[in-house]
Amino acid sequence: MSTRRQWLKILRGAQMMLFYLVVITLVFVIIGPVFFVVSLSFLSAREAYSYPLPLLPALTVRYQLTHGERGYMLSVYDRVEKEYIPVLDTDDLEKMATYMRSRLGTSVTVQDIEAQIARLQQEDPVYFTKRANLLHNYTTFFQITRDAVPSLIRSLQICALTILISLSIGGMAGYAFARYQFAGRDLLKFSALFVRMFPGIAIALPMVIILAKMGFYDRPIGLSLVYAVGNIALTVWITASIFMGIPESLEEAAEVFGATRLQAFLRITLPLALPGLAAAAMYAFLGAWNETVAALILTQFNPTFSVVVYQSLVGATGQINLAAAGGIVMAIPTVTFTYFIRRYIRQMWGGVTL
Amino acid sequence: MATLELIHVTKRFGKKVVAVDDFSLRVEDGEFLVLLGPSGCGKTTTLRMIAGLEEVTEGRILIDGEDVTDLPPRKRNVSMVFQNYAVWPHMTVYDNIAYPLRLKRVDKKTIDETVREAARMTKIEELLDRYPSQLSGGQQQRVAVARALAVKPKLFLMDEPLSNLDAKLRVATRTELKAIHEKTGATTIFVTHDQSEAMSLADRIVIMRDGKIEQIGTPDDVYHRSASIFVADFIGTPPTNFIDVEVQVRDDQIHLVNPYFDFPLNPENAAKLRDYPKRELILGVRPENIVLVSEDEAIFSTQCLVSEPQGSHQIIAIELDGKIIKIVAPAYPKVRSGETIHLNFKQEAIAFFDKDTGRRIE
Repeated sequence: MSTRRQWLKILRGAQMMLFYLVVITLVFVIIGPVFFVVSLSFLSAREAYSYPLPLLPALTVRYQLTHGERGYMLSVYDRVEKEYIPVLDTDDLEKMATYMRSRLGTSVTVQDIEAQIARLQQEDPVYFTKRANLLHNYTTFFQITRDAVPSLIRSLQICALTILISLSIGGMAGYAFARYQFAGRDLLKFSALFVRMFPGIAIALPMVIILAKMGFYDRPIGLSLVYAVGNIALTVWITASIFMGIPESLEEAAEVFGATRLQAFLRITLPLALPGLAAAAMYAFLGAWNETVAALILTQFNPTFSVVVYQSLVGATGQINLAAAGGIVMAIPTVTFTYFIRRYIRQMWGGVTL
Repeated sequence: MATLELIHVTKRFGKKVVAVDDFSLRVEDGEFLVLLGPSGCGKTTTLRMIAGLEEVTEGRILIDGEDVTDLPPRKRNVSMVFQNYAVWPHMTVYDNIAYPLRLKRVDKKTIDETVREAARMTKIEELLDRYPSQLSGGQQQRVAVARALAVKPKLFLMDEPLSNLDAKLRVATRTELKAIHEKTGATTIFVTHDQSEAMSLADRIVIMRDGKIEQIGTPDDVYHRSASIFVADFIGTPPTNFIDVEVQVRDDQIHLVNPYFDFPLNPENAAKLRDYPKRELILGVRPENIVLVSEDEAIFSTQCLVSEPQGSHQIIAIELDGKIIKIVAPAYPKVRSGETIHLNFKQEAIAFFDKDTGRRIE
């Protein structure tokens, strides 16, 4: 009897262990990539392309300077190899300073290097340490990417327009689906989802042509129209479930007590639906903000921020540490928006608490 | 306060479903009228048509003689208490009561007085600053009533306002509703499926079945002079007992005959059946109108199946013709299961129903 009980105890322990293993794995799957990108955005270019990739950026960079074949030989201390690795041999101090700024992530002036060279008279090699400029990738990103700031503003414009269009049209449709019985209602509601079944890339060409003919090509309104079409389906379903969660009798009571239909909607139903509508807005925002493929096709001289980040990754000038910095900048609005709206997310699925 | 008239009102949903069928009724000023019937009988639809929440397919609705059939709800000057109370969850109790008045552009001072007066009548004065989610079901119900009172409507409509309350609170609240009605004298239409609620509240009861009016009458009318088997069965706990009998004329007397009994009718009852052409009818007897008597006065004797003591009285069940018949008898002497009892009918209180139509024979 007691052995049986012990076995049960062991079994239960094993179960718990398995459970925590699964949880920990899940946490790593979710947290891992986020940590990777955040850490990458602080690494210097040399660190970002070294192997194995450092988990955290170095706070200081140790240099060794000596005479080289062409002028001065600059070496940098490698945390993995535990020795100084030669990186640059030149007599052009301007070039050396630029290299130390862009590749090694330290703010160094020509005067600083001249001072170290002066020390070469007494000792050879010279060792010196510089503090790493952790925000280097961020400043570089905004300096070298083509109109990063205007594209950020453009992206915000597109998001606002997308929310406006998809919430006003989708919201009205959702209300109709929730409140009125009409022929073909369920079919129509379901068919709203058809739009989402087409991959955007498959209809890219007709999209470009149509938007060009409308005069909306390469303009925020064009992109927000494209995003809103995809989003309306989702908004319809979300808002319909919100409105279904609000008893019709609340509106009816308002009507009996002297309100018009519109007043009843604006004063009773809308305030109650607002949290859910906010959640629907969040979905529209996230969709529009993160979308890249359509933006890549439908813009030319006025890219969105996601396109700018994408371009910082590809091509000859592409650097993963810069792309990571851009990605983090891009995530800030979405994280902030989601943080403020998070308590309404539950209500999106019709769980309106009354 | 006002009168209400419904003239041949019909409501159809789609082409086939007839919810209310040719409904005509006149409600007098200050009357408390109850629409009573099983679920799906069209009583709530009727109320919603009066409120203007449901379109009328045919017929007209008049309030104070004015045709309101095509007016929107807000122009009818009625107020309504909903089954789920429908108090607005994002407004305080005060605002819930005040909002209808603000919509009517009443000045601030009058609103404040009216709200406090309504709150005093419904005993929710100390709850005015709360939100509905902080209130119990019973309190929310009071808010709904206060809101309906505050607008001083021509008509007071109530759609099963007590059905979401627990049994004890329901009985207490219905007494209060009646007291409020006595005080305000507002013409009230009250919908319920609970016959005891209807009996205790109503000046007149309208019993509905399948969209049609089955009987209109005072609580006494529908109880003692039920117009049909349906009404006699629906009203009263336990309901009326129905016994199949045969009419036989012997020695110039009309006898009701059944395998269990055979008894002559008194002259009043006999007069009712003089013109009845058929041989069979259904005898309706309320449980309290079957009386325990001594053996020589009995028209039949049988065994008690079960007896249910109720304190103030006892309910005795017997089996007759394969059906359970219930008898309400005084608490004493106690009748035990299996005991032989001798029974008679109170002839002045029995009713006859046509076997085919179910209507009462007068």
